Amino acid sequence: MSDQNSIQPNPNQSLPSTPLNGEGNSDPSTPKNPSPWLIVWAGLSICLPVLLLYIYSCSSQTIQIAGFELKQILGNQDIDAMLAELDEPELPSKSNNTSTTNPQTNTDSNVMAMGDDSTLSFINQANKKPFSLPAYELPVFADTTKHRILLIGDSESGGLRYPLNDYCLSNGHKLVLSLEWYSATTFNFGRSDTIQKIIAKYKPTYIFLVFGLNELYARDLKARKIAANQLAKKLRGIPYAWIGPANWDEDHGINKVFQSSADSATYFLTKKLTLTRAGDGRHPDVQGYRVWMDSIAGWLQTSARYKMAMKPPRKRGRPFRAPIITINAAKYRGY
Amino acid sequence: MQQNTVDTNWINQIFAPLHNPQLLQNIFGYSTKEPWFFTEFSFLAVFGVFLIFYAALVQKNTWRKLYIIAFSLFFYYKSSGPFLGLFALMIVSDYLFALAIQKSQGTRKKLLLWLSLSYSLSFLLYFKYANFFIHNCNELLNTQFTQQDLFLPIGISFYTFQSISYLMDVYRNEIPATKNVSDYAFYMTFFPHLVAGPIVRAKDFLPQIFTPQIINASLYKESLLRIITGLLKKLFIADYLGKYVDIVHELPSNFSGGENLLAMYAYSFQIYFDFSGYSDIAIGIALMLGYRLKENFDNPYAATNITVFWRKWHISLSSWLRDYIYIPLGGNRKGEFNTYLFLLITMLVGGFWHGADWRFMFWGLAHGLALAFHKAWKQLFPNPKNQWYSQIFSTLLTFNFVAFCWIFFRATSFGSAFASIEQIAFHTQWKDFTGFWLSRQEMGILLSIAAVIAFFPPNLKERFFQKLQILPTFTWIIWTLIALQIIIQFKDDVVQPFIYFQF
Repeated sequence: MSDQNSIQPNPNQSLPSTPLNGEGNSDPSTPKNPSPWLIVWAGLSICLPVLLLYIYSCSSQTIQIAGFELKQILGNQDIDAMLAELDEPELPSKSNNTSTTNPQTNTDSNVMAMGDDSTLSFINQANKKPFSLPAYELPVFADTTKHRILLIGDSESGGLRYPLNDYCLSNGHKLVLSLEWYSATTFNFGRSDTIQKIIAKYKPTYIFLVFGLNELYARDLKARKIAANQLAKKLRGIPYAWIGPANWDEDHGINKVFQSSADSATYFLTKKLTLTRAGDGRHPDVQGYRVWMDSIAGWLQTSARYKMAMKPPRKRGRPFRAPIITINAAKYRGY
Repeated sequence: MQQNTVDTNWINQIFAPLHNPQLLQNIFGYSTKEPWFFTEFSFLAVFGVFLIFYAALVQKNTWRKLYIIAFSLFFYYKSSGPFLGLFALMIVSDYLFALAIQKSQGTRKKLLLWLSLSYSLSFLLYFKYANFFIHNCNELLNTQFTQQDLFLPIGISFYTFQSISYLMDVYRNEIPATKNVSDYAFYMTFFPHLVAGPIVRAKDFLPQIFTPQIINASLYKESLLRIITGLLKKLFIADYLGKYVDIVHELPSNFSGGENLLAMYAYSFQIYFDFSGYSDIAIGIALMLGYRLKENFDNPYAATNITVFWRKWHISLSSWLRDYIYIPLGGNRKGEFNTYLFLLITMLVGGFWHGADWRFMFWGLAHGLALAFHKAWKQLFPNPKNQWYSQIFSTLLTFNFVAFCWIFFRATSFGSAFASIEQIAFHTQWKDFTGFWLSRQEMGILLSIAAVIAFFPPNLKERFFQKLQILPTFTWIIWTLIALQIIIQFKDDVVQPFIYFQF
């Protein structure tokens, strides 16, 4: 930034000295291009490769070179058709395979837990045999049912837990655990058996799932749909509310994926809400989380499949005493 | 039979977009949330087709100019919709102001300049900084002004600066005002630099309208190589590094010092490859049309001191700040103290230009102080010994300072930035790096590749690119195809928008 040293970045081209206001249109010195066909070729050099890759991406077959699959351009699939296709037949039983045949992954010692030590050892304990959940009886729903609520989610659940806590205390529910899996995506929840273990230990009667903020731009929806279905399977038998991500931007179909995996009327489409955001522009702020929870509560009392008492709390900002487990997906993927 | 079914499906699939009832909406609609970037494959396809028709008009300067203006306006409309009107208004008013300034003398001329500058800046100030001022006013004075729901028109920071440079150059009689509004519109709207620069100077660009480059085989190869390199830099390197950076910066205190340190380096390379990749694409596209934009980066991380760094980083902005803020303030002509003061003011403005946030001001201030410190250092030690080891030391020192400052640029808040710094300063252990390598090997490899490219001697880099141009013209379609497939192969499903596109 010195005025003695002027910046002259690579002046490869000495600029022409024609007057700026010359009658450029009829300027006889306008250089003639040797061949317009070169420009046509330039255009083809750019649009033909894209066209070829597009055509390839429409094919149901993929090309393999030396064992590597040539990927197709993402994001051009018909989301609805893909979801319908994946929902119709029995889903691939990959979920069970991944969660049961790789028990050694569950011994990952990188898991971070800020809850009590017993929960830490509980997650870390070696689980050599396939894991299965105990059978659950569907409780009879009435407004007076007092639930044991389990909150599972990504960083959003860390904010949502406070207003949820207020609602629980005012309605007689017990928030048994808040599992906050930072940066987690559908893969972490779907492929791991962490949730099954947590359910087995805390025996919730109602589960809140909230995640998706980390995958708004996800385009590999097929893989995510399979993982979401795996997750939905794990919850089978326990009433739940699947809370969609608090979109800060338009997603590429992740809401549709979750909605199609969740049982009917168990998915709360947060996308529709306008929430105030924290400094990062993505997570809701304190007020945003309250508004969000108020909307969820209204939905739970009126339109959700598994209804529950969720009257507005008499007092807000009450102390949070439920145990919390925090995990970071960057260190513990869970599968 | 089965084979036939598959084939039919494939063909149907290819033509499916044509049957989409929203086809016209997709083509002619706009989305402010999903701006149409150079990295979109749809843009590349449309640009390719645009070039084919361009070939027919290339010999007729007027039609060529109008054709590019029309495409540029369409390009802007796709990203900003109704804000196109605002942009057009600014172009017409600048054009008229410049003519008036040229015809005036003395105080009237000065008055017109101030009026036109205030008018141009008012849009930027309103859209970019109104909420910032309202927020700070509410905080400081306990007022209750409501924040506006404002959309920042894409590229406004860039084209406002271009407009200011044009008006000031006309005022200083460095260039004459354009007589034809279409010439000025061409300069302002030219789509390769429209969204995120480089900030083009009228005196460099306007003459090219009348004498564009001759598009020959060498120019074709050079431009295509720039586009391919830019796409690989942005979509392959920067976006991949960005994945790691995003994870760490979501909650820095949850990560070890080593991981935070590597995130700091990863972001330094991410922002460099992101923005220089974008500039490469912009320069390549402009060159393919026959117009040469000035370079925006010149191996900045290889700079041996912070002053040189600012001559190599975002050159179009740093030279703009020098020519239109630092020098008009007084430069180094008004005493030593004032020189330092002007330097700090210039860098503060530069920081604030990047975003309406105190973090950017702090970043600008840190760089301003470093520049001032270096200036003072040079006066104390005017003849340093340029040994190879001192060169390496000063390069590493400069890079680490720049990387450190990027933390404030990337962090979501001051708290988050200080949390990251605290982790780096007090919780870094050797095992963090071994752990990182074990769990994120591919990220480690990419970080190393990025470092090698960033610090690679520029002359060798240039020689390598020259060697590539030996490849015959007809083969370049294949290299483009391979490059695009590499991008698809490693493309993150979460594509980051250009970091600089809303500055």
